[in-house]
Amino acid sequence: MRDILEIIGLILLLIGGIFLFLGGLGIFRMPDTYNRLQAGTKATTLGGMSVILGVGFLEPGWIIKAMVLVIFIAFSNPISSHALARANYKRKNYPYLKGGAEYDQYREVYVNQENKEENK
Amino acid sequence: MKKILVLSLLAVFGVYLLEVLFKIDFGHQFFLHGVKDFYLTTSPDKMGVANVVTAIVVNFRGFDTLGEVTVLFLATTAMSSILYKGRHQLGERAVLFSSSRIVMTGSKLLFPAIILLGAYVFIHGHLTPGGGFQGGVIIATGFLLMLLSYEDYKVSHVALSLVESLAGITFASVGLLGFLNGGTFLQNFLPTGGLNNLISGGVIPIIYIAVGFKVGAELTGLIYTALNEKD
Repeated sequence: MRDILEIIGLILLLIGGIFLFLGGLGIFRMPDTYNRLQAGTKATTLGGMSVILGVGFLEPGWIIKAMVLVIFIAFSNPISSHALARANYKRKNYPYLKGGAEYDQYREVYVNQENKEENK
Repeated sequence: MKKILVLSLLAVFGVYLLEVLFKIDFGHQFFLHGVKDFYLTTSPDKMGVANVVTAIVVNFRGFDTLGEVTVLFLATTAMSSILYKGRHQLGERAVLFSSSRIVMTGSKLLFPAIILLGAYVFIHGHLTPGGGFQGGVIIATGFLLMLLSYEDYKVSHVALSLVESLAGITFASVGLLGFLNGGTFLQNFLPTGGLNNLISGGVIPIIYIAVGFKVGAELTGLIYTALNEKD
């Protein structure tokens, strides 16, 4: 039983390490802010969660603390990346799209919103 | 010319520092078993404090910590007196755009967790790494999160200064109670309890809780004044 838990924990640690590495590489390699945000938050959310869970499996006494930390990361990381991306969009740093601006569906919504607020 | 002057000044300082440094015979008996052993054995055995750093900061050098808290208080007072221009003159905050509903809801959910973490850090200051200063800063970051996500979030200056003053008074009066019990300023007069218990270490938890409240209130007030600065 103990061995199985240890193997699961080590596999989780390995997955987390790989994803954290990929996240770091993505921040270094990706072309613009949105892609970098995706690498820096999605990959590190999964990486951090699996590292913490892996530690929880390796030390069964800490599993509850690890779960609390995982829940905290599940809340805080997407919210912060959302806030960063939204702030970046509002500063008019639009994402680079190959097909042009008509593929940017958020811009239509956003421009409509702005027009409505101006008409009020 | 100026650079040569600076360099020669640095060289003079360096020579004097090296002279002092060479006088220290590293590896001598005093460095192996000097004051270090005293701290390492006294704080767990006689004082019942698991975290030796806390024992040094609050008990052996409690007076110094009182001075540090005073320095922080003076710094926040000075900054507030520069930024705060009158009771009714707190201006509207310069907001580029309001934060989205996701951020608002999320920070409402995360705020109690952050406050709880800060309280945990300073209540367990004598058991685990951390303490009053760190816990207070964590609490202030919780308030910063709320202030950033809600434009109209208000923090009462009266309540902040009340908390701050009460915490300061607690620290100083715990120190004075040491006199009443026939000791010196900030001397421990409570039973030390068992090692690794929550209620142990004599006056250290009381002082660190007071420091935590004080630092949290000070930094929150600082952030609030800085955000509401009127142009």
